[in-house]
Amino acid sequence: MDSPASQPDEPQQPVAGSPSDFLKNIVGKKVKVRIGSGIDYHGLLTCLDGYMNVALEDTEEWANGRLTAKYGDTFLRGNNVLYISALEDL
Amino acid sequence: MASTILPLELVDRCIGSPIWVLMKNEREFTGTLMGFDDYVNMVLKDVTEYEVTPEGITETGLGQTLLNGNNIAMLIPGGKGPRA
Amino acid sequence: MEDAVNATISEPLDIVKLSLGERVFMKMRGDRTITGTLHAYDAHMNVVLSNVEESIHIVDVNEDGIPQAPRVERRSLEMLFVRGDGVILLSPTQ
Repeated sequence: MDSPASQPDEPQQPVAGSPSDFLKNIVGKKVKVRIGSGIDYHGLLTCLDGYMNVALEDTEEWANGRLTAKYGDTFLRGNNVLYISALEDL
Repeated sequence: MASTILPLELVDRCIGSPIWVLMKNEREFTGTLMGFDDYVNMVLKDVTEYEVTPEGITETGLGQTLLNGNNIAMLIPGGKGPRA
Repeated sequence: MEDAVNATISEPLDIVKLSLGERVFMKMRGDRTITGTLHAYDAHMNVVLSNVEESIHIVDVNEDGIPQAPRVERRSLEMLFVRGDGVILLSPTQ
């Protein structure tokens, strides 16, 4: 049985291209996190976990194309996350 | 029972190919499927995000993206998006 | 690359842990924001705050369905339990 991707808690190397491989490569990069309501958070990705909870550094909040707030360290609860997108090449 | 295929086997066969993702709301994505996991969280590259409203479709280009599987409704292998 | 902050944050909830006893800003579902002193949290992001100010951001709609200018209703609360599933964001307000 070939499973589509390894789970985050498995010790072996994640399958190339899988979500856990992506998460491994994107830490420390500039990202855009869009939440369900359409608001975007731009920042440096400090870390994340299996729930897609996200920690960002130097966070900018963007709504309707306008910068609406700035935060330092930010915790985003994973259930609200629509996607995490790289703003630089991985 | 010789030719049965599991749903996720179909998705697995799409890796490396274009895919069209329809969310539970009025949002859609196209891109090349890099991989996915058991929750059907998906990694896509060369992504376009579409917001389908009565006023029209707005498009956003994205780099490599991890899409939360939570709000995915349907997948269309080889799909070119709502404009095609 | 690894600065002092990164060294102590190895999972997202560490941001919350490091904010214990500090003033935090929280963004909630339902157009609410909360500022208060963080006393406790768990893995669901249930939290307990004290000396809280809650702001509710309201856009009224008149009889013709035209949205009016947004307004904010505020209230102060001594001690507050917040259920985790309403939380969108938490950030310490140094």
